[in-house]
Amino acid sequence: MNHVLLAIVIVPVVTSIATWWTPPAISKVVTIGSGIALFLLALALIPSATAHSYLAVGSVLRVDALSVVFLVPTTFLYATTSIFAAGYLHLPEGEAGRRYARRFFVGLNVFCWSMAVAPLVNGLALLWVMIEVTTVISALLVAIDDTDGATEAAWKYVILASLGLGIALFATIIMYYAGTRFFGSSYDPSYNKLLSGAHAFPKDVVRLADVLAVLGFGTKMGLVPVHTWLPDAHSEAPTPISALLSGALLATSFYAILRFFQVSVRCLGPAFPRNVLLIFGLASLVLAAFYLLSQRDLKRLLAYSSVEHMGILAIGMSFSAPLAIVGVLLHVIAHGAAKGTAFFGAGSVARKFKSKDMARIRGGVGLLPWSGPMLVLAVLALSAMPPFGIFRSEFLIVAGGLSDPRDAIAAVLVVFVTVAFFGLSWFTTKTMLSPVPERERLRLGRGETSWLIVVAMAVGLVGLVILGVHVPGQLNELLQHAASQLEVAR
Amino acid sequence: MPHAAPSTFTGAVDVIAVLVLLTEFAMLRAPMLRSQVRLYAFQSLVVTALAIVVAATRHIDEIYVLAALSFILKVIIVPRIVLRLLSRAEVSLAGSSAFSVATMTLIAIVMSVFAFFSVGALHLQSTALPSAALAISVAVVLVAFVLIILRSDVVSQAIGFFSLENGVSVASLVVASGLPLIVDVAFLFDLLVAVVVFGVLMRIHHGRTKTLSTDSLDRLKG
Amino acid sequence: MSQTQLAAPVIQALQDLTILFGAPLVSGVIAHVEGRIQGRRGPRVFQPYYDLAKLFRKETVVPEGSSWVFLVGPIIAFSCYLIVPLLIPVLTTYGLPLGYMGDILGGGFILALAGFSVAIAGTESGAPYAQLGASRAMTFGALIEPTILFVVFAVGIITATDLPYALAATVRSSTGEIVRPAHILAAIAFFLVVLADTGRIPVETHSGTLEFGMIDEGRTLEHSGAPFALLRWGSTMKQLILYTILIDVFVAPWGLATDRRPASVVLAIPSLLGKAMVVGCIFAIIDNSFSKLRLFKITEFLAAAFLLAVLAVLVFYLGGG
Repeated sequence: MNHVLLAIVIVPVVTSIATWWTPPAISKVVTIGSGIALFLLALALIPSATAHSYLAVGSVLRVDALSVVFLVPTTFLYATTSIFAAGYLHLPEGEAGRRYARRFFVGLNVFCWSMAVAPLVNGLALLWVMIEVTTVISALLVAIDDTDGATEAAWKYVILASLGLGIALFATIIMYYAGTRFFGSSYDPSYNKLLSGAHAFPKDVVRLADVLAVLGFGTKMGLVPVHTWLPDAHSEAPTPISALLSGALLATSFYAILRFFQVSVRCLGPAFPRNVLLIFGLASLVLAAFYLLSQRDLKRLLAYSSVEHMGILAIGMSFSAPLAIVGVLLHVIAHGAAKGTAFFGAGSVARKFKSKDMARIRGGVGLLPWSGPMLVLAVLALSAMPPFGIFRSEFLIVAGGLSDPRDAIAAVLVVFVTVAFFGLSWFTTKTMLSPVPERERLRLGRGETSWLIVVAMAVGLVGLVILGVHVPGQLNELLQHAASQLEVAR
Repeated sequence: MPHAAPSTFTGAVDVIAVLVLLTEFAMLRAPMLRSQVRLYAFQSLVVTALAIVVAATRHIDEIYVLAALSFILKVIIVPRIVLRLLSRAEVSLAGSSAFSVATMTLIAIVMSVFAFFSVGALHLQSTALPSAALAISVAVVLVAFVLIILRSDVVSQAIGFFSLENGVSVASLVVASGLPLIVDVAFLFDLLVAVVVFGVLMRIHHGRTKTLSTDSLDRLKG
Repeated sequence: MSQTQLAAPVIQALQDLTILFGAPLVSGVIAHVEGRIQGRRGPRVFQPYYDLAKLFRKETVVPEGSSWVFLVGPIIAFSCYLIVPLLIPVLTTYGLPLGYMGDILGGGFILALAGFSVAIAGTESGAPYAQLGASRAMTFGALIEPTILFVVFAVGIITATDLPYALAATVRSSTGEIVRPAHILAAIAFFLVVLADTGRIPVETHSGTLEFGMIDEGRTLEHSGAPFALLRWGSTMKQLILYTILIDVFVAPWGLATDRRPASVVLAIPSLLGKAMVVGCIFAIIDNSFSKLRLFKITEFLAAAFLLAVLAVLVFYLGGG
């Protein structure tokens, strides 16, 4: 299986080098190929990740069930986003278009590479390095459209995310310091090593590291109150990038938090790390639910929905039932697919109506025969409607939460998920399901902007339905495995 | 109770750390962007000196390599890049801030007090560890926050981030000097990438708005 | 072998006399060096003594309408400057009986009282420039006060006492104490305080004749004759006292008499004056290499000193350094 691992690291690098030279049309094809290949490679890792406790290549790469859980949605989005991007990009003729395409595809491939490799590296320090790489690349991609809004969003994003990662770096160093008490002053902070000695680390120090890690990586994950960059970046970035930011990047940061969680739980017991996540999770869920009610911008709406879902993830981790943790991990995958699809739909709508302002979008379903209904379905999926994957994952989380002694939190969760549902459904009925104004029909005409967008959305929905109706056996096993890694060692 | 005198090593490390913190305060009040960049270069030099002290006293040869790399990168390359950017910009080289110098200093002092208390609450009474230096590095990070939040121009904010990294470097030299060299080098490489990206974004920002101020960045809300 | 031991009161008296008669000399040397720095020959080093002698012979003019305060102020200030040397380590490493009469705060209070009496004497004159100087001196004095307090706190927690003798002893005890950041920060903060308190650039042009820029000097514009001599003398003493605290408490508490043999006590006198002259020269160099701050920028200078003092306390108290 080692060659699969190496292939995941190498393929996107090769693709990004290739897309530097190739003309836009070929870049599109190459990127799609690379995305699909990477997704298949990630799926190929599932059996061995469940069979062994971990796989390692040298001292740098290491894969266990938890890594693969995060690798799957990232690579899935890589594949679907590259299909979507191929249909979505409108390149100007000539040199300008070629330059834009080169920047875009090289950036996209490097960005996906960094997000795919982050769960594969071994050790907190290298993980931080990879996440910093995702930040700088994505900041450039946010700014790529060179509009006032994009420049502003990119600057806010890079400043806030860098601050957050500064804190996260501090957390990493403090965790390393905690280890020096046990391993001596010089050691390699790989996961196995940290986990093996975590029980003996000084508790106060690990507590500090855990809080700083949640705050620092939480900034990139979009946890309230350090989420402020997120709606700006998501709404101003080109839509393919928004989909990746929301579906994959946030999850990658959550992965980093979980790695700290893993060590902290071994050292401190479950109560403290869970409470830290609970506080941030509740704040995110509540605030995002209210913001969802008052959005005018289509992509900002989806961005706040991401904040809400990140809140759900954090709250889910705070429940003691193993069921809830399985739910959280499933939620990571399902949210990636749902949010990606929703952003693709939003991109299609925005392209059609030439606006992201919801006051100007009317009769989306009537004008977009395929992507319109699919966007409605994706939004329903985001609001945890059956038969989609998020329904199952949120059901597991709530079920786990109700078996927790603190079952009131599960009730709060349900209430605010419902508030969020109102926000989202109000938007859909108003913009998508409303009758088409005659003037708009004449001006815009009925029809899709690109069939590739439709394909990308269909793939996402199929994935969501599969996750919702019946989680494939091996994936289920993977989730169970990963969940058991996050529990307290008994 | 009278504390026992610290060892000369601890004392030296602490003094260097204090110097880093004082430079951070100086950056906070430096009115000219150029002087801010120079202060950053000086601060990086001090951090390099700290690395050499740590390497010499703890006999970790890898840190010499690190010191050399950080000297090249943080004392020479990064300031050079930012200064070149400034000389291209040719606009308002004086920074701007939301508060007066005295207010900013007071806020920063409060942040440092917070840093000291929070590190003090950890009860890290280890003989080999200059815990004052750890507290100071936390203070540097927090003062860098103040710098980034209260100064409203792209250069100050970028320099704030770079100096924040210096603060973390102090912490890492003090408490995690055994970190594998590959990791340290990766950190530095990351910083270099971040500098380039900051530079690109600053150029884009300047190209669009013809200023270095961030006051115009208030469109996106809600 | 029995050696002559000096009685404590004698040493105590010597401390005072050293300050009293050494101070004009130190000022003279600084003025001379300053002249050299500026490319002049500079006044003779004994010039301050001649000035004082001349002033004592001159008649005293009292402004119309001013009360006795105008004449008593300089006397109170002068006696304050005579009391402070009893409290600080001037010549000896060991505390003398009266040295425990007041701690470092007590010394600070007495210096403040001296400043206050000069200020009200200046105000009493009714002359605008003297009043301006007095009010400015009080304003900046109030801003310096917190810094001094924090320096005192820093000293206090390092030594667990508030006696200047104890800090000097601590500093002498090991090199670890010297590189201790709390100590260095407190020392630098105090250095800045001395800079401000002795009317040096960047706070004040001490030898200027422009009334608008004056702070400390302005207060005495209306005095003449013997009271003016006392004020001049007092200000040289204040300068030497502050230098002594800086040297013997913070920076270089070496060369003091460790026992009561006459030889070592007497030798400590030139040693102190020598160190004070070196410090004075450093101040003179600073004085001539920087420009004066605008009046409203002085708060920033004082804020910097305050910052250092606060950090000194923090670093020590919470960081153990």
